[in-house]
Amino acid sequence: MEDGESNWEPLIVAFLCRWCASAGADLAGVSRLEYPPNITSITVPCSGRVDPQLILLTFVNGADGVLIGGCHTPADCHYIAGNFKALKRFALIRKMLEQYGINPERVRLEWISATEAQKFVEVARDFTEKIRKLGPLRRREK
Amino acid sequence: MSEGKIKLAIIPAASCGGCDVSLANLNEKLLKLTNFVDIVFWPTVADFKIEDLENLESIDIVLFIGSIRLKEHEEKLKLAREKAKILVAYGACACFGGIFSLGNLFDPEELLEHVYLSNELITTDNTEEEIPGQKFEIDGLDLSITPLTDLARPLNDFVKVDVYAPGCPPREIVLDMLIEVISDYIQTRQTPEIPLVLAKDTPLCNSCSRIKPKKISIDKFRRIGHEPIQQDLCFLAQGIICLGPITRDGCRLPCIKANMPCRGCFGPTLDIIDPGAKFASAFAPLFKLDEEKTLSDEELIKVVEEIDDPIGYAYRFTLGISLLKRIIREIKEGRKE
Repeated sequence: MEDGESNWEPLIVAFLCRWCASAGADLAGVSRLEYPPNITSITVPCSGRVDPQLILLTFVNGADGVLIGGCHTPADCHYIAGNFKALKRFALIRKMLEQYGINPERVRLEWISATEAQKFVEVARDFTEKIRKLGPLRRREK
Repeated sequence: MSEGKIKLAIIPAASCGGCDVSLANLNEKLLKLTNFVDIVFWPTVADFKIEDLENLESIDIVLFIGSIRLKEHEEKLKLAREKAKILVAYGACACFGGIFSLGNLFDPEELLEHVYLSNELITTDNTEEEIPGQKFEIDGLDLSITPLTDLARPLNDFVKVDVYAPGCPPREIVLDMLIEVISDYIQTRQTPEIPLVLAKDTPLCNSCSRIKPKKISIDKFRRIGHEPIQQDLCFLAQGIICLGPITRDGCRLPCIKANMPCRGCFGPTLDIIDPGAKFASAFAPLFKLDEEKTLSDEELIKVVEEIDDPIGYAYRFTLGISLLKRIIREIKEGRKE
């Protein structure tokens, strides 16, 4: 990473829930809305499935930012309360990252419904710019 | 030295000495053990030098105590691995980095500056401002103190470990199992093929007899010592952090029986990649479970953020095996750079 810092592009992994955020991202694609190619999206059954271990693994394996997209609180979750689990885990892992000395802004949680293609695009753009400002996340071999 | 006895070395690195005490606490068992075992190196109890270790051709069993925090520890460990048939990571520090690995929340330079150069510690008397790692010579003799390593690390970051004896310090039941490992070795002279862990693979909660409600909803985070703790109710249900769900069983629950929550000194169970993150995954969703639909996102986040020092709780003994150690810190002393 360090050698080519001038050509560095942020790598963001987005875990999007199947029912809302991922459908929103699909709609953005179908509607031909443009968003930065820095976002790699992975569809998961529910945002409540995104274990904080998964967030750390994503960072360790090369991501500079992690976006979690779920259904709006309080009532949109397909599994009733998965988004609340995501929200509370997000709050705790952010605090842990900050305590360890990693900028907590590298993790972001957004509620994006299946119709909110525009919101997904705005979040993608904004988050990419924020991570670009923060710079690359540096790692050790072991 | 007598014929037929096997050679045992006990090598301390970054340790508090508690593990050595736990071995001394074997009492008569230690005496019985010496019928079959020659203790060839144990600097905590007698005057041994590193040369004594170097001069040995081979050692049968090494109990390595403590984590790797200095370059010197790393060298000792490599020497131990070279000589040993069985290398035992003895205690939580050797197995997971232990308490010392909480120092990974700071860079080595920050730690040295705080201990040796700041005036915040009344015990520091260092007018010449010397810190470990600097070159230091007297009459042409190199007396430099060994530098700190980048992080406090467990043994298996450097070498293959054959037996893990967890605990802070390892309990009598672990020592009994360790003695069994030693007597197996005496009979077979075989090194275990796959690493042994002298604890159960199941979580501590499995053998905890406290009442576990079907559904736990925590109204707020509670610290020990601030409010009375109920004797028979699950700690998590009381809003107190207990690492039972992510920690290996096998200690016979001394802390739980003394009405103290589990701190996790037996390390994470098999399927866990990162102990603290796994704990966050299990614990955070319990907050305000009954009221989550009536509260705003901000209110819920605020309740969870009331947990102070989440790393200190969730990674008490395990920051050295956390995934976090593979990320280089970017914020120092709470200041964003």
